[in-house]
Amino acid sequence: MVQNHRNPASACPRRRVNVARSMAMAFLVSLGAALPLSAQSPKVHYRFDGTEPPGAIGRERLQRGGPLPGYFQPVEIRAPKGAQISLAVQGDFDEPRSTPIEVGLLIAPVYRLRVSNIPLYEGQEVYPTIEIIDRLYPPDGERRRFPIPIQLTEDDLQLALDGKFVTRVIYIEDPNLALPVAERAEDQDWFEVGPRVNPLEEADRWGRPVAIVRMGGRLPDIDEGPDDCFLHGSPPFTVFRPRVQIETIPKGLEARGVSRPRQSTARGVTVR
Amino acid sequence: MITLLAALMLCSCRSGPRASAPAPSTIGPDGLPATAWTGGPEPCFDDGVPPEALSHAPVPYEPVNSWQPPGLERPWPYDEYLRDGGDREGPVAVSPDWQVEGLDLEDTVAHYDALDGRTLVEPSNRVHIYAPRFGAVRSVTTQLASEQIDQPIGVKLREQLVHHDDVEQATTSLQREQARGDVGTKIASAYRTRQGDGAVSNTLLSFSFQDAFLPFENLQVIKLGLHHQAEKARLAEATQAAIIWTGDQAVQVLLDGRSAVEMAKDERTEVVYTDIDLRVPQLRIIKVASTQTALPGETIDFTLRFDNVGTQPLGNIVIIDSLTTRLEYVVESAQSSRKAEFSNQRNEGESLILRWEISDPLEPGEGGIVRFRCRVR
Repeated sequence: MVQNHRNPASACPRRRVNVARSMAMAFLVSLGAALPLSAQSPKVHYRFDGTEPPGAIGRERLQRGGPLPGYFQPVEIRAPKGAQISLAVQGDFDEPRSTPIEVGLLIAPVYRLRVSNIPLYEGQEVYPTIEIIDRLYPPDGERRRFPIPIQLTEDDLQLALDGKFVTRVIYIEDPNLALPVAERAEDQDWFEVGPRVNPLEEADRWGRPVAIVRMGGRLPDIDEGPDDCFLHGSPPFTVFRPRVQIETIPKGLEARGVSRPRQSTARGVTVR
Repeated sequence: MITLLAALMLCSCRSGPRASAPAPSTIGPDGLPATAWTGGPEPCFDDGVPPEALSHAPVPYEPVNSWQPPGLERPWPYDEYLRDGGDREGPVAVSPDWQVEGLDLEDTVAHYDALDGRTLVEPSNRVHIYAPRFGAVRSVTTQLASEQIDQPIGVKLREQLVHHDDVEQATTSLQREQARGDVGTKIASAYRTRQGDGAVSNTLLSFSFQDAFLPFENLQVIKLGLHHQAEKARLAEATQAAIIWTGDQAVQVLLDGRSAVEMAKDERTEVVYTDIDLRVPQLRIIKVASTQTALPGETIDFTLRFDNVGTQPLGNIVIIDSLTTRLEYVVESAQSSRKAEFSNQRNEGESLILRWEISDPLEPGEGGIVRFRCRVR
């Protein structure tokens, strides 16, 4: 394997034990599978596979230009009810938070999470990563209303605990290819591809990939705790305070003079 | 003295106070705990150089206006917006049996009949609604545990050729002998002539119609059926000649001893009368939406305003809206300010085509409104 010290995934040679091997194997297998199909000649040449090291695709995306560097893309992380999520802060994980949580993540850095208190798997933890590779362009003032939903499903967490490696590519659906089904806020439409199919390419076929979630595989050092390579440098993020739900007041109470509570004007706080 | 000078020089060479690393404040901004501080990556890399993406401190970037690459149609990017209205691809047309052709998803048009019998189609404007929807692709692979590639053990190289065949250079060559003289071509001393047959040859014309236009037929109206103004004089001259030379003066033959029956005919060329109505039919249809942004599950109210901005009454006005896939019509939400028959049918996007048939003609200056509600899928 070529030593590339500028790549955070390969910066710590002692750490890249299993994942690098499996990624390289999967890449070679997918490449070999694609060679006989070269006669079908896809119109787009995909440089990256879904099994690229975390951070590689986002860094390449930044080089294409646009208002991407330094933009904190709102992201809503959802997990099964009861599960708690911690983000990497200053070389360690911060306090667990109940989901859903809304944070602003930079494009290209890799964010390591710790999912704990998983239903039916209490005492076990999963350490997924989130890599934002593109952003949204909402109208002014509507940024927080349209976050990228990152869904850590119970099925994904269970697969990760069973030793599988789960890659989930989130994309913005092309309106011309939209499925005529209603989407619920708590249940994102998704489909599964086989092991020899590039999930990034498949997501690009149906829309515009914006985020990659990987889970399974690497675990922090039991004795010394998570090191900085495991946390990918603990990149900065923005914490959005949760919105206050407007409670509906019965008409009887409103008539008695009970005022309707105002919706909080939550604002983002940059965490450095 | 020397010691004093040396001490002064050392003091002058000292720099200012060393820049110490900023200590993280115990109370973070806006009351966040002190642990809510991440900072930059630690130099755990072998060469001490962090990756480029993390080496620069990120600056919060807030675009003043929505950014978009130059030269593209607004709003951008297209995949974050729902569109409804207008005539998207091929133009909508109405056949004589009132079949609407070319109606695509998102199209909103109105067709109406003018006084001259034509059925005209007028598209509405297009409405853009910011409503991105997300999907996900999952891939599950099995990890190969306890295996690691430390370094390549070997590489396969192509063996170098031990021997290769060279093309040997020619050592000798045969010189072609130079021609010692030219071979001349003798000039023809006599001409060969073709002798005529001594008789008059005559080519007979074919009796059938030739597939070519004759010189006097070189007119657009003859060749293409298109009347050209510049040919009017020539055409009049030609038709006059036809009148003169094609009029039968008298019966010239007798058939079986019977006399021919005299026939009276109109010798004039055909005359076309055109009735030009200066009153112009024109319908205007405008579409508006109740919101510019919507999340899945929210509802949007659409309003279509139609006006007769022409100078003649319009009849059989039909307003058609083919909803895009992600818009679901809310049942019994259609309204109309004028008497109309509402109907719907399924389109190719698993949504509906809404149709209002306005019952009464629309006089110039009159208008109406239709409304409906949709839920974002």
